[in-house]
Amino acid sequence: MASRTSKTFLSLGRINIPLLGFNKSSGKATYATALSINSSSGNEGLPDRGGRGPFVRRPRREAGEPRTGKMPVDQDWTAVYPSAAPFRPGSVPLPVRMGYPVKGGIPPEKKGNLELIKIPNFLHLTPAAIKKHCEALKPFCTEWPSALETDTKCDEHFPIKLESKEYVSAGPSLRNPSARIVHLRVKLSSLNLDDHARKKMIKLIGERYCKNTDVLTIKTDSCPLRQQNYDYAMYLLTVLYHESWKTEAWEAEKTVADMEDYSWEDSPSQKNILDVLLRMKVAGEGDGEEVRQQLLGRKDVQDYKDSVTRLKNEGESESSMLQYKEAVKKVFNM
Amino acid sequence: MAASLSSIRNVRVLSALAWSSSLCSISGSRGLHVTVSCCKNRAARIRVGKGDKPVTYEQAHHPHHIGHRKGWLSQHTNNLKGEDGAAERTVEDVFIRKFTFGTFHGCLANEIVIKRRGNLLNVCAVMLQKLPPQKFYFLIGYTESLLSHFYKCPVKLEIQTLQDKIVYKYL
Repeated sequence: MASRTSKTFLSLGRINIPLLGFNKSSGKATYATALSINSSSGNEGLPDRGGRGPFVRRPRREAGEPRTGKMPVDQDWTAVYPSAAPFRPGSVPLPVRMGYPVKGGIPPEKKGNLELIKIPNFLHLTPAAIKKHCEALKPFCTEWPSALETDTKCDEHFPIKLESKEYVSAGPSLRNPSARIVHLRVKLSSLNLDDHARKKMIKLIGERYCKNTDVLTIKTDSCPLRQQNYDYAMYLLTVLYHESWKTEAWEAEKTVADMEDYSWEDSPSQKNILDVLLRMKVAGEGDGEEVRQQLLGRKDVQDYKDSVTRLKNEGESESSMLQYKEAVKKVFNM
Repeated sequence: MAASLSSIRNVRVLSALAWSSSLCSISGSRGLHVTVSCCKNRAARIRVGKGDKPVTYEQAHHPHHIGHRKGWLSQHTNNLKGEDGAAERTVEDVFIRKFTFGTFHGCLANEIVIKRRGNLLNVCAVMLQKLPPQKFYFLIGYTESLLSHFYKCPVKLEIQTLQDKIVYKYL
């Protein structure tokens, strides 16, 4: 018996038995039996026992009424579907129909409906079931610490934020190579940097700095393990911090083109405005250093300086252009 | 398996023929590609006949109805974008279908639906009531334990039984 079944198992794809649902034209097997098999009911076709006496087949037990007929209206549904399970037409007391109807017909009913089995169902996640889950999980939960009520307090106590992802997928393996990526985010304002260190840090990190939110993001994925990537990210942060505090000899060669912000002192704009004012002034006052200093001290010149600095640093906008216009008008007494 | 034959023509001959619009091989080579026939317009279709062939919902709808009128027989997350392992799951699915077809010989009413929930492999099948329940239970236990040993993951077999196959229409 065992050898026979093994032979039929091995030669499944090849034998053209008319009882099995083989589609001869395409040569592929449909793994379901054809409808031409008579369902055995009663005692038909008894095998010959070879003289051992008549074989009495146990009478076939009729299938009882499905459970849906016996369900009270106020039953506990979480007992019927306690966990995720495929759709069982005998357990769900709803007259659900699913499928594309035949012409002039209605969708097929739920009994034996493969479409209802194919789709995922959420019969195990009714509100009552979810309430039960929450009740069961409550003993394991702890309160959120009261000292961390607001976001600013969280930032103050935990300035470095680390992000990494875990992946769950269907299959026997847990491993996912994307799980090793680590993002480290820190606000530069929470680091102890003076002016030079801050500017140097921003130059060192380049693309990884977001100006609007003042956040440095380091993404590490070069090591195969998450622990290694985390260590590397912390090492990078430490090195950046210490390097930005150091001042190298070649930093003294910083030119105006390297400057991050526009500064008005010793700029062409300052020279121009002073020249214009000197020419405007009554001749005879001289052209010395102290006259220039005195001019610089005037309020309208200071306003002009502020408006030009703002235009250059922030870019052109309605209010900055208006401010520049007012300052120019005041300087030239228009 | 594709074999491509290309013959490169002489450039002088080609310049004489370049003005002829019927030839498309102006660049200087002709190709002939041969593949195994795909029969895409004959796959998984039961041809309309005299009207006496009973057919289930699954068989009546053609493959281009998948996603519109039919669902998927096998669902797992490895088919999503950026995930790998799709090929291994497909091979597992094919084996499981052949295995259950052979184990429950003559009892399957319809195709098998395979669902994967994390590690768990859930095989849902609709069967005809051809065997006594004891034999069914034995075969279910046999399938579950054998498949879980093969694939090193828990395998659950969910069976529903019917008296007869559900006929959708007659082709």
